[in-house]
Amino acid sequence: MRVKPAPLLAAAAALFLGQATVQTTQVYPLWKKNYAPIQGDYTGLSPEHFLFALAGFRELIAGILWVRADAFFDEGNFDAILPIIWLVTRLDPHQIDVYATGMWHIAYNFTDEGSRSDRRYIPSATALGVEGTKNNEHTYELFFETGWLYYHKIEDAYPESVKWFTEATKRADMLPARRNILNNALQRNNEVEKASDYLFSLLDEAEKKLKESGEFQNRQNRDTIEQNYDNLLVRMAQRGYLAKKGGYYDTWQYDTKPPFDVGFSAQVTVLEPRKIQVVGTWNVLPVGTRVRIVLRDADYPRAIPAAMEWYQGDRINLDPPKDLTFMQDQLFVRNQRFNRTIDMSRDLTMYPFVSDRFVVEFYYNPRQAPAYIQDKFGWNGEGMTDANFLNTEVRPGQRVVYTKMEFSRDEILRRGEWADKAPVRQTSNYRGLAPSQLDREIIRVPGILAQPPAGQ
Amino acid sequence: MSAILSIAKTTLGEAIRRRVLLVILLIGVLFLVIAPGLEALSPRQEATVLRALTLGVIQLTSAVIAIVLTVYLIPNEIERRTIYTILSKPVLRWQFLVGKYLGAVFALGLMMALMTATMLLVFAVMKGQTSVDQLGGLARVPVMFFVQMSLLAAVAVFFSTFVTPVVNFFLSGGVYLVGSVFNSLFEAFADPSRGDINPVARALATVVQVIVPNFQNFNVQNSAINPGQVIQGELSYTIGLIGYALFYIAILLIAGILIFDRREV
Repeated sequence: MRVKPAPLLAAAAALFLGQATVQTTQVYPLWKKNYAPIQGDYTGLSPEHFLFALAGFRELIAGILWVRADAFFDEGNFDAILPIIWLVTRLDPHQIDVYATGMWHIAYNFTDEGSRSDRRYIPSATALGVEGTKNNEHTYELFFETGWLYYHKIEDAYPESVKWFTEATKRADMLPARRNILNNALQRNNEVEKASDYLFSLLDEAEKKLKESGEFQNRQNRDTIEQNYDNLLVRMAQRGYLAKKGGYYDTWQYDTKPPFDVGFSAQVTVLEPRKIQVVGTWNVLPVGTRVRIVLRDADYPRAIPAAMEWYQGDRINLDPPKDLTFMQDQLFVRNQRFNRTIDMSRDLTMYPFVSDRFVVEFYYNPRQAPAYIQDKFGWNGEGMTDANFLNTEVRPGQRVVYTKMEFSRDEILRRGEWADKAPVRQTSNYRGLAPSQLDREIIRVPGILAQPPAGQ
Repeated sequence: MSAILSIAKTTLGEAIRRRVLLVILLIGVLFLVIAPGLEALSPRQEATVLRALTLGVIQLTSAVIAIVLTVYLIPNEIERRTIYTILSKPVLRWQFLVGKYLGAVFALGLMMALMTATMLLVFAVMKGQTSVDQLGGLARVPVMFFVQMSLLAAVAVFFSTFVTPVVNFFLSGGVYLVGSVFNSLFEAFADPSRGDINPVARALATVVQVIVPNFQNFNVQNSAINPGQVIQGELSYTIGLIGYALFYIAILLIAGILIFDRREV
């Protein structure tokens, strides 16, 4: 006996309408919210991987690729890892470790022979971090990692660190020990009172937790926060922060008074093509000062004094501009002077020197200084001055040391008239350092003040 | 009803005796057992990759089993002429088709249950994950895969009423592939920020999205692979999805019945 087609067709039509309704009104909107992958370019996938990814095995392919990336890490084949990171984050945008490792890898691991990072990659690292936070808003981790990238690698972009660390602390899964970092970022961003309030709230929470359970971890956390809070209060007093707020800063002696002249001077010599020597003075006795030096194209896109805009949009470009040069290094000060040779001749892809004009910038910002130097210089450089290069414009609201020198391409590459003579630039106050001064090792143990105040 | 169940029971018995299916199942189980050998990564990443691999293996193996199992359901009966014996009894063609389908789904469920149990055992014994939350989160995914594969089996049963097994294999695989990308593709087409997409193409994409069975909906493994994600309306989604699958399976079986009922065997 055959079935009658009409009722079946009617039932099929009704079912069809039913499935279409369920799909468009209930399933698809929730799928889009919860499970949709990133719209992206999968051209880096091999055909079989592409087919598998298409067939719904995105996470499986992402897993296999990440295992492969791990092998590349072990082999030191860093270039091969970049496209894998890109693909894995497209295939599975919720793999937090891939984003975190990817950011770190992009920002830190592409270095020259002198272990200087290729800063041209950093906008891609920040973009990856921002994308990771958008795709994983439920956890603190990528907010923390992005903040850490700004805080530790980029430095000098503390508003961004504060922004991302603040977002991280809003997430309940943030580890208690990691919550302290926002205090440091707030201080470096000159939000000292906010740092104090924040530490107080952390202390309050830690006390409550300790009352709930007296386990070692809770006690240690409370003690650490208490110590950080104590340190901050002492610093607020000794650096004259509270006095300024109270309007009696001029009346009393504080560690930041009088401003200390750092006596910066420098000379840059192009020793060989792409190889420079930087010598100079820095009149601060304690070891630990690092003066930033940047050598970049004079017209480097989106450059700012001694840095660049580190976040340049959401685009993750894993192939940084090959025709641009941006070298950043630190001049380590010892015995009140620095002497560093920077050899860029062995890393031609990192330092192509294509532009016609280049600038060498020197920059020192007390906000990045260690606490014992900051105790004298203050959070904003109020305890620091320089007769020649104190600058209050390149970083509004901060007293920094900044100067720059220009070089031509021929000078850097020692071509034309510079083939036989070394180009030299120096600050007007540079008096030269004798070879013996450069070589001599003197370890001086400083007191709290370089010169005792008169009458003491 | 008893006729349908009898046919389903026979089909189940046949399925679990078929060597080719057992070999596929064995390979899947072997993969699940050796997967924890990946110890090169950080502990968390290792767990993530392991979850991705094991769930991927279950899904892939199930898809192959679902297709291989169902493409031969009707053609084999016709080729071996056993269908004449069955249809000479008081069994209607639609009962035969539905019974065959249900038998295949039972067999599929049995095999998937075995793989799921192996996976849970691997996580419990080799990775020390014994909490109900952890294992329950993992076990939820193969359940959705089972619904997905039941839909795929319905597609293959539908095609098996009028094409040869080889053609059916590629047709069903093709539908699975297209159905697995269509949400993403539709999302790209529907994106209002993309002005380069023709409105006609956009409308066409909507039509195709409604017509083609959507397998991508069932890929809910991401939240189990990367735990901690906030999934909105999970229960509503699951219920809607099961309803969607049942609607579609019913449509495919009706279409299959209509074709099979008029076919010369």
